[in-house]
Amino acid sequence: MIEVDRPPREGPDSCREAAPPSFFQRKKKGMKRFIIKRFLLMGVTLLGLTIVVFIVSRVAPGDPARLAAGPDATEEMVQVISKEFGLDQPLVIQYGKYIRGLVQGNFGRSIRTRHEVWDDIKTFLPATIELVLISICLATFLGILFGVLSAVYRDTWIDHILRFFTVTGVAVPMFWLGIMLQLLLAAKFHFLPIGGRLDTIVTPPEAITRFFLIDSLVTGNGKVFFNALAHILLPAVVLSFPALASIARINRAEMLEVLHRDFILNEKAQGISKGLIIRKYALKNALIPTLTMIGLRYGWMLGGTIVVEMVFDWPGIGNYAVAAAVYSDFQPVMAVTVVLGLNFMIANLLVDLGYGYLDPRVRYE
Amino acid sequence: MELGAMIKTWKEERESQVRSLKLTAYTLSRSPLSVIGFILVSLFLVIALVGPLIITHPEDVTGAVHMDRKLQPPSESYPFGTDEMGRDLYSRVVMGTRISLQIGLIIIFVAMGIGIPLGITAGYVGGWVNEIIMRITDVFLSIPGLLLALAIVGALGPGITNAMIALSIVWWPGYVRLVQGKTLALREEAFVEAAKSLGVSRLRIIFGHLLPNCTSPIMVKASMDMGMAILFAASLGFIGVGAQPPEPEWGAIISVGRNYLPERWWMATFPGLAILVTVLGFNLLGDGLRDVLDPQSRG
Amino acid sequence: MKRVRGSTIWAFAVIILCVIIAAPAHSYEKRDGKKILIFGGRQPAPNIDPSQYYDWSARMLQQSLYDALLKYVGNPPKVVPWLAKSWKKSKDGMVWTFELVRNAKFHNGDPVTAQAVKWSFERTLALKKGPAWMLMEFLDKEGIRAVDDYTIEFRLKRPYAAFEMALPWWYIMNPKVVMANEKDKDFGQGWLKDHDAGSGPFRMKRWEHGVLYEVEAVEDYWRGWENPKHIGGFIYRIIRESSSLKMALEKGELDALEGLNSDDFDLVAKNPKVYVTNDPGWTTFGLKMNCQKGYTKDINIRKAVCYAFDYPSMIKIYNGNAILEDSPFPKGMKGYLPVSNVYRQDMKKAKEYLAKAGYPNGGFELEYVYVQALEEERQIGLVLLDNLSKLNIKLKIVPLVWPNMVARASKVETSPDLMAVFTTPIMDDPDVVASQYHKVSWGKYYGSHFYQNEKVWDLIDKARFTVDWPERQKLYEQIQVQIMEDAPELFGMLFNRRWAFRSHVKGFVFSPVRFTGEIDMYPLYIDD
Repeated sequence: MIEVDRPPREGPDSCREAAPPSFFQRKKKGMKRFIIKRFLLMGVTLLGLTIVVFIVSRVAPGDPARLAAGPDATEEMVQVISKEFGLDQPLVIQYGKYIRGLVQGNFGRSIRTRHEVWDDIKTFLPATIELVLISICLATFLGILFGVLSAVYRDTWIDHILRFFTVTGVAVPMFWLGIMLQLLLAAKFHFLPIGGRLDTIVTPPEAITRFFLIDSLVTGNGKVFFNALAHILLPAVVLSFPALASIARINRAEMLEVLHRDFILNEKAQGISKGLIIRKYALKNALIPTLTMIGLRYGWMLGGTIVVEMVFDWPGIGNYAVAAAVYSDFQPVMAVTVVLGLNFMIANLLVDLGYGYLDPRVRYE
Repeated sequence: MELGAMIKTWKEERESQVRSLKLTAYTLSRSPLSVIGFILVSLFLVIALVGPLIITHPEDVTGAVHMDRKLQPPSESYPFGTDEMGRDLYSRVVMGTRISLQIGLIIIFVAMGIGIPLGITAGYVGGWVNEIIMRITDVFLSIPGLLLALAIVGALGPGITNAMIALSIVWWPGYVRLVQGKTLALREEAFVEAAKSLGVSRLRIIFGHLLPNCTSPIMVKASMDMGMAILFAASLGFIGVGAQPPEPEWGAIISVGRNYLPERWWMATFPGLAILVTVLGFNLLGDGLRDVLDPQSRG
Repeated sequence: MKRVRGSTIWAFAVIILCVIIAAPAHSYEKRDGKKILIFGGRQPAPNIDPSQYYDWSARMLQQSLYDALLKYVGNPPKVVPWLAKSWKKSKDGMVWTFELVRNAKFHNGDPVTAQAVKWSFERTLALKKGPAWMLMEFLDKEGIRAVDDYTIEFRLKRPYAAFEMALPWWYIMNPKVVMANEKDKDFGQGWLKDHDAGSGPFRMKRWEHGVLYEVEAVEDYWRGWENPKHIGGFIYRIIRESSSLKMALEKGELDALEGLNSDDFDLVAKNPKVYVTNDPGWTTFGLKMNCQKGYTKDINIRKAVCYAFDYPSMIKIYNGNAILEDSPFPKGMKGYLPVSNVYRQDMKKAKEYLAKAGYPNGGFELEYVYVQALEEERQIGLVLLDNLSKLNIKLKIVPLVWPNMVARASKVETSPDLMAVFTTPIMDDPDVVASQYHKVSWGKYYGSHFYQNEKVWDLIDKARFTVDWPERQKLYEQIQVQIMEDAPELFGMLFNRRWAFRSHVKGFVFSPVRFTGEIDMYPLYIDD
């Protein structure tokens, strides 16, 4: 779908065309078509996703109406709830209802919390997004930093230590890393909080974006900001670890390659400072492979939030999905899968668009 | 054909393969990380195989309980300490290796069993068959793996079998993509065209020409996937929907061990280290294999 | 680059320092001069509508936000007047009249009248959820009459000696407030799930689903406060992992908690800033066996299991904080009697009964279902697995979320071979325990054994509708002996109920009818 640009046509007809569109104009048109095509594709995939999730949720054994009615319910109470959830109708009709509801923004009702799933998602999604965004920032920033450091100080102890972390970083189980860090930093030495988004006694900032870090800054509430920062630090570090490791590795490789190219050696010979060289070439070259890595690792991160939220008691969508799955509460699980699936697809689209923006050789097919 | 001549051609055919194997081994051994990976994986396999011979308390693995010696820290008689039922953690972690190996192998093989045929079909037949298969694959690849596995296991119920089913479903699309891409590329190659024009049957083309060319990337992927599959299975065990008591699966042990932190740290620490080392080994090995067998796919 | 790196590292160091400074460890919080207690619980309370739902977390909040006619206080639990200042019942036990206090007010200022009481009872009965089951058989809405503004009369369909025992769980709601928020004729159910229409000592302040619930004290509570140092409010903080709960208490982020395992309670008790309460409770633990299906249908197999189990191991799991059951009824409850035919581990007898059942060498598998995340139940299952393996019987251990267990227990076909259940009697009357073995309980979680014995059922019915206690007591003695003989359940133990508090929290009073982690917050005060 993405191709390197081909040279313009030549031949007898080339003179007849009046002012052929410039490269960038063609690229923009290509991008528009690309985006439209991708959205259509996303729609189809999304539909397929809902079918898969729907089938999975209905395969479940157990009687969800009885679950909802509670331990002391009578038969009539169970019937009432069964009707309320529409559980007594054939599968295809249930699916149809579900899709119709989705289009209207109605994800159904959670048996466990008794709230509209959409409301639950609105409550919990911002926490997850905040965590994932901070993790990406950490992974990118630290990843590039460590990669470049590793390359610049190649084969020194800095390099060895960093390489050790990048190599193990992808292999370490996130939940275990979380538990270990929690153990050391929160329990043994009381540096950081054990879990949650804020201390219990602290009132959350006004809900503008529902991102505590942004909201507290915008409302000028310093204490809450630092409290929220303290709470997000550990889970974000854990969540970012595999991505951080991958990004560091790729940047190290890129950086090493750049550092040894001829024109660089030439410039070094001319006495241009190392720092300038690095900043000028390396970081620019870092962006594309880093973007690739983020794209590859993003899905991993979304899945990782499940265990990280469990370990750190983070009130996000991952925790919500686990509680629902374990409860055989199918509506939330379906909804979370669809939401995160959509999120993942959009992220992929952004990454592909990012390529186009960063790499002038790219043209959209 | 005479027997002697047959054997000679067989040897000649295999000679190039033997040579390439030797080249692989040599190249691998040049990279220290790959060597480490190879050692770790071998260690893992060995422990899985001889597990019952090196454990000190075999009855603790299958269900014996000793409430009088519960929650003891690591010592000479219990190198990893004892857990909440008084069982020797070292024995359980060692036997967990076996479980992890089984889980990993089954997931990978089932995934390959579904994914490779589908991928070849899609790539070779092309057209709308290809479109359908690839769209379905896209759907499964659009969900983060752990989430999909969680949803499936949540529906089927907790247990190691259901976890393996769920993870196989998560893994097969990757193989479809890989094989489809390769097949698509190879389909246009000259030697395939030649075979077709010679009237070679489709099946022979697939098994004789297409599949062998896919082997390298499949092997690389399988090696990386082994580690990841074990990691995912442990994650499901940790969440509580994977292996069930008294199975000594690493993730499940950590899940229970978590309740006894921070004072009784050994229950959560040692199984986690086991996971880390195992996955690391497979990753390093996979990396090394990729550098040797399939360098173009790098980056 | 070196310069860039240097300044980056400095920036990081500064941020981390700020973060460390801003992450304080503290004891109870003071807000606006009021002392707020922070309680850690492992279970959320998504629905606190008193007519819709109750479990221990919901009820802890309901008891704080609402009042009922009567209240359970103390150990042994006594029913004390609350909204009702006095009451009387007719000789035949069918008409009950309650005199209400005059000064009770809902949180919005409305007086608590007999009409409000009547409306609340009608609502619960109409919705048929939550506590409705306790009185549904005995009370219709036609039988409730507001004699005047402060007198209410209940006319039962049949005599029920234990009527008053159920009343503490029927909270009184403000009809004006609830109906003002009714949507689509739902009787206010959608709104009352997470809103407050009560008259209790606390009112709702901040509700963050899945995270915490905050309530503040009603300073001019109609009943007053016994202690001037009473808590100014409390925050129920949801922390699902018991290790996080423990760490939070030790760090000072929590003032009180529930739900640790016994080892952790023991550890935490060693902390000089913490104390752990330890009271014998009425919560029984038993393994209910399916008497109508599968291998456990045969009484000999059930007896074999009862004789195979290593009972003292349960005490070890609780580090000594438990006693073995010696009757189907919990010790300390009215009507309890230790029976002589109780089972203790005896492998020989177990093998005998197995042989009688036709399986002298075992060779089959049983399923043990327990509540997911309940560590003790899991451990007991492992002990049983070990015990049964000596008889060559395999045990499949299956964790389920509580509602899934309840769902499975609802039908004979799906009810597990062995189901691990903690049961807390909700009132101090043996009927509540005995009826678990009556046919009416079939399909409920406490009736998952589908026990069948018409003679026992007759006895239970008789005892239920008799009003004279000595007569009832005799009947209950027979019932206990027979149930133990029929072994529909492996009767396990009563464990001590424990909570952990930081030393400045005082005033805790234990009552065995309160579930799991439920604490009555009204009498608590902070004293440092």
